[in-house]
Amino acid sequence: MEPPEDANLGLDEAEEIILRWDSTASEEAREKMIFEGNRDEVDRYLLAVDQIQRSISSVSISDDQAKVNSAIQIAMARLEDEFRNILIREIDLIPSDAVIDLRSIAERMISAGYLRECIQVYGSVRKSTVDSSFRRLGIEKLSIGDIQRLEWDQLETKIRRWIRAAKVCIRIVFASEKKLCEEIFDGVGTAIDDACFMETVKGPAIQLFNFAEAISISRRSPEKLFKILDLHDALMDLIPDIDVVFESKSSESIRIQAAEILSRLAEAARGILSEFENAVLREPSRVPVPGGTIHPLTRYVMNYISLISDYKQTLNELIVSKPSTGSRYSGDPTTPDMEFAELEGKTPLALHLIWIIVILQFNLDGKSKHYKDASLVHLFMMNNVHYIVQKVKGSPELREMIGDDYLRKLTGKFRLSATNYQRATWVRVLYCLRDEGLHVSGSFSSGVSKSALRERFKTFNAMLEDVHRTQATWLIPDSQLREELRISISEKLIPAYRSFLGRFRNHIESGKHPENYIKYSVEDLENAVLDFFEGYPISQHLRRRSQ
Amino acid sequence: MRATENNQGSFLNRISIRRNQIVSMDVNHEQELQDLDLFQKRVSDRFSNLFSPSDESPIAGAGETALLSIAWLRKLLDVYLCCEAEFKVLLLMGRDPAHISKAPLDRLVPELLDRAVKSLDICNAVTHGVEAIRHCQKLAEIAVSALGQKPVGDGQVRRAKKALNSLIAAMAVEDKDGIGGKFSDRAWSFGRKGGAGSASSKDRTVGQFRSLWWGMAKGWSAARQLQAMSSNLVAPRGAESTGLAQPVYIMSTVMMFTMWALVAAIPCQERTGLATHFPIPRHLSWAQPMIGLQEKIADEWKKKEKKGSFGLLDEIQKLEKLGFSLTEFAESFQFQAESDRLEEVATQVAELAETCQKMEEGLVPLQQQIREVFHKVVRTRTEVLEVLDQSGKVSTPTM
Repeated sequence: MEPPEDANLGLDEAEEIILRWDSTASEEAREKMIFEGNRDEVDRYLLAVDQIQRSISSVSISDDQAKVNSAIQIAMARLEDEFRNILIREIDLIPSDAVIDLRSIAERMISAGYLRECIQVYGSVRKSTVDSSFRRLGIEKLSIGDIQRLEWDQLETKIRRWIRAAKVCIRIVFASEKKLCEEIFDGVGTAIDDACFMETVKGPAIQLFNFAEAISISRRSPEKLFKILDLHDALMDLIPDIDVVFESKSSESIRIQAAEILSRLAEAARGILSEFENAVLREPSRVPVPGGTIHPLTRYVMNYISLISDYKQTLNELIVSKPSTGSRYSGDPTTPDMEFAELEGKTPLALHLIWIIVILQFNLDGKSKHYKDASLVHLFMMNNVHYIVQKVKGSPELREMIGDDYLRKLTGKFRLSATNYQRATWVRVLYCLRDEGLHVSGSFSSGVSKSALRERFKTFNAMLEDVHRTQATWLIPDSQLREELRISISEKLIPAYRSFLGRFRNHIESGKHPENYIKYSVEDLENAVLDFFEGYPISQHLRRRSQ
Repeated sequence: MRATENNQGSFLNRISIRRNQIVSMDVNHEQELQDLDLFQKRVSDRFSNLFSPSDESPIAGAGETALLSIAWLRKLLDVYLCCEAEFKVLLLMGRDPAHISKAPLDRLVPELLDRAVKSLDICNAVTHGVEAIRHCQKLAEIAVSALGQKPVGDGQVRRAKKALNSLIAAMAVEDKDGIGGKFSDRAWSFGRKGGAGSASSKDRTVGQFRSLWWGMAKGWSAARQLQAMSSNLVAPRGAESTGLAQPVYIMSTVMMFTMWALVAAIPCQERTGLATHFPIPRHLSWAQPMIGLQEKIADEWKKKEKKGSFGLLDEIQKLEKLGFSLTEFAESFQFQAESDRLEEVATQVAELAETCQKMEEGLVPLQQQIREVFHKVVRTRTEVLEVLDQSGKVSTPTM
């Protein structure tokens, strides 16, 4: 509380009070703090200071002037100590009467020309408060080098912690420091509250943002995308608060740094997506997955773009350019291509996702060529494209972005692969069961070449056994697809065999060792088909027809 | 006669060989050699400008840019940015991406990128150092304000003394988080005599200053960082010295020198054991100005290292010198001081004021420039990494 207006002190009396409290002069002056004592003492001291300051203009003789100046210095040194003491005493939460005391001191120091000392004292004490808040929030001091060396999963934890801590730092710690400066220094000279605020928080703010900055410049790799987007979103959320807390001209550099980091994070996200596309295109593994099943790359990519669709809100804002298609991305003469014409009206992000699926297929197509068995090439593509379709259907966001048109295209593709598979395997098998070439020309009597027929049966049996043995180890993971393909095979195989048997078995059974030729019944075949695409080597061979 | 004949013979041979060479040389290749030469020359010229031969002492007269002054550092950073921009063009523009991933660049470029990342931490450390200098500036300004009053009275002198003691203590704090330093005894002896509660003042100033060493991780060392940066810096030899290995080396050296000069000038976390040179082969003509500068700065560093110094920054040196001198004056001040003493003091105060003015005008722009260097380095690194990725040959995870 300010001393009452009408109180008056003579110059000598004022001087005496000030000298009494000169901490360089007596032990007692050092031991006690004025502002911790009784309020009357406080009022008297402040009055004394005011009196001395007023008297500067009125005192003429140089000796007296010197005395007055000396007294001012002693008073200012004392007030500086008092100021510091109040700040330290009330370090965490400054009650309003302490704020008033601080204000009284600040006013007098500043009007005596001791502004710099005031700012220094304030800054040094409050800085250590902010420092301990930082430590409590778990904000670490890490160099860029440290961050580059850490494993990504460790960094993910740190990012999560940073996001939580940054919100508290900016919205609570910094905001309340700003408020405190305003309470103490508002109206006391121009922009002094700003100067004190910056003195307090500039270092800590830089330290806080250094972490986010280090993350934004770390080496790009696909797994980092989502945490970087989290960091980007969190920072974007905080920008309005940052702009308010750091609104003054002197804190411009902080606002600028925050904006720079945000834009770098956005760039990093874009870069990672681009990286990812490259990686998918160039993924070089040549080892064919056994059984023609789903390639790990397919799973990885589809999971990845499902996650991307979860982040579509942010990514739609960040991804603004179409994917660059064409030979820039590969040295191969045959490069994947995408027709943009039919993809009108799609967001750039959606185009990227479709592009990723396109290049995934392109890559898989290359991998499929490493299978020696042509049928397996097609089965592999069928499995993988089918998986893609299932994943797209399984995610509403993804489906909405990919669009049903392209989905239909993909469906057509895996159906085509299925057809191609069947052609590759079964055409030659069914060829054995054809009519032509079995009838001997001319005479109408027996008309069937027994030797040719026997050859046919032998060939058929051998082929069938081979296909059965081999393709039982192949795998179609999707049960529905597996079932469908088996049915499709059966629909062609069983009637053809049944009809063949029906027409020609007599000729074999009328000869020697029919069991060598008619090894299998229709039922045997039906059961055999059930073994297909299970992914296991068969435990029993095709059962022979029981005689 | 025979000699002439022989000469003629060899002369003719030489011509024909050269003609063959010219015929077989690609126009592009010729252009490339020209570009490399030009880059080298420009670097050399720029560093020549920084090394002004008339600058015999680090503290030059008014109007000249003294070595390691704020103005000089700003020039250095400009030079760095120019070299960097030209280097980027040389390395990346109009080239097939695959060329960067061929030997020896497949090793040298990742090393350069690694150095670049390390330099970013140095930029950050130096930025914090500039904050520390600003703190010292403000303390000096108090002394200027106090001692600038006419006539200077007891009160002003005490005020100045207090500020100067804090200033000296601030500049005496060791780079580590520890207390003290070579200056400590000398600093405290001033405090003890008449300062307000010397023990608490000591704790206060040290505590207050310790909080200024924010920002860099515990255990981080500028000296060690520079050493790591220079550890694999080797001039290309023989066949490697044509082609792009040379400008990569030149750029690396420019980066090293700039960072090293910044660390020597500006108080940075942990500079003990700062190497006073890093090897640049003396026969390289383009490097002569840089080598000269390096020697000058290294000499200063060695001189000051024994006494202990806050930094070689010209303005800091002035603050140290004037700070001590004025503190002595304040210590021995009698109210009726001799007038010529006062005149001397007034000159020193004016010089201190001028130094503070330079700091006031130059430190924030210096920080901004360091920030700009930070950005450029990040940007170039990103672009080079993109090119490396495109060529598909990044096997080891570089930083």
